[in-house]
Amino acid sequence: MSRILRFILMCSIVMITSGAQIVSAHAMPDHCEPRVGSTVDKPPAEVRIWFNEKIESAFSGIEVFGADGKQIDKKDSHVDAKENRLLIVSVGTLAPGTYRVAWHVVSVDTHKTSGDFKFTVKPQ
Amino acid sequence: MTRIRPRAHVAAHLICIAFACGFAQAHGYVGDRFFPPTISTDDPFAVDELALPTLSYVKNGPSEDGPGNHEFGAGFEFDKEIFPHFALGVSETYFVQKLDHGDSVKGWDNLTLTAKYEVWHSLPHEAIMAVGLEAEIGGTGSKSVGRSPYTTLSPTFFYGKGFGDLPDRFGAVRPFAITGTIAQTFPIGGDDPNTLEWGIAVEYSLSYLQQRVRDIGLPAPFKDMTPLVEFAMSTGENRSERGLTTGTINPGVLWDTRQFQLGVEANIPVNSRSGSHVGVTLQMWIFIDDLFPKVFGHPIFGGDR
Repeated sequence: MSRILRFILMCSIVMITSGAQIVSAHAMPDHCEPRVGSTVDKPPAEVRIWFNEKIESAFSGIEVFGADGKQIDKKDSHVDAKENRLLIVSVGTLAPGTYRVAWHVVSVDTHKTSGDFKFTVKPQ
Repeated sequence: MTRIRPRAHVAAHLICIAFACGFAQAHGYVGDRFFPPTISTDDPFAVDELALPTLSYVKNGPSEDGPGNHEFGAGFEFDKEIFPHFALGVSETYFVQKLDHGDSVKGWDNLTLTAKYEVWHSLPHEAIMAVGLEAEIGGTGSKSVGRSPYTTLSPTFFYGKGFGDLPDRFGAVRPFAITGTIAQTFPIGGDDPNTLEWGIAVEYSLSYLQQRVRDIGLPAPFKDMTPLVEFAMSTGENRSERGLTTGTINPGVLWDTRQFQLGVEANIPVNSRSGSHVGVTLQMWIFIDDLFPKVFGHPIFGGDR
């Protein structure tokens, strides 16, 4: 038993450690500004999403929609020049209300992911 | 040596990503929902997967089959996508039973082969259905640990459903998902009864909660965890076990990293026929499609999924 168990455990460790140099994975949000599901006092000028993987700028973007379903962002979503895990889009002056943020990204190893979340701007 | 201009290099890179390579979509995703591989019940995905190792322990009480023992298991499961949405798999476990009064007995479980095909997906509804056939090959395991000399075939139906499509007012429920299986066993020879094997996993994704519903500020590693409860049951249909149900309820937690998933579950017998003690199972899934994307993460034939 102990020999077989040791062999299986050793295989597991070898798989993990040998793969550590070539690992790639799905890019998912690490955190966002405004925070997912939050209510903010001050309207944000931008929506920012930090991912847990490097992302491809050409195939990644953010769209922001108002409660009526109309797209209200400036359609300038881009990956930050200094931080290639950060996706940014500008929004105008947001009126109080709830907004839906839809994102789609392709990580540098071509895995495609997408998602959405909402945030609310509090009435002044 | 020919120099490649930076702009041309970038363009070639993007073209490769968009067309030549295709966009990868790998283990356990339906739309935006990630279904983590579960421990006690099989998931509905026909993808490249490697569970290594799966370690288990349970104390078995004395029965008509023999004295009580402490049973340890160490095993693996490997699945490879052959055609898009069709995978073949193999799994095996080595058991050691330390008898209460006497020596230890040890030996292999019967080899299990599986074929699985994903027949339907609904991306907006985070739903998937698959069908498969499992074959436990009789005689490949050890008689010393009570393995049957007869082969058992089990046509299986797999399902998965996430609840992210619920309206916003049910926000706290949206991270829930279920996966499960229904299988009919057909022993070939011997006097083993036919059984209906049924299982369900109820899981709550904390990463889905953080990323899609509400960022409640969970720190690592908790934000990457999925608490779950699995029910793995078997109901006899004929012979000596007609109408008798055995099984375990398995509460536990899964923790996902970029390279692997670690999971642990308690195995609680549902009745006295199912056992007398609580067991435990520890399992690691290695995401071979992400670790070795050139080899895994795509079918052998038929292009990308």
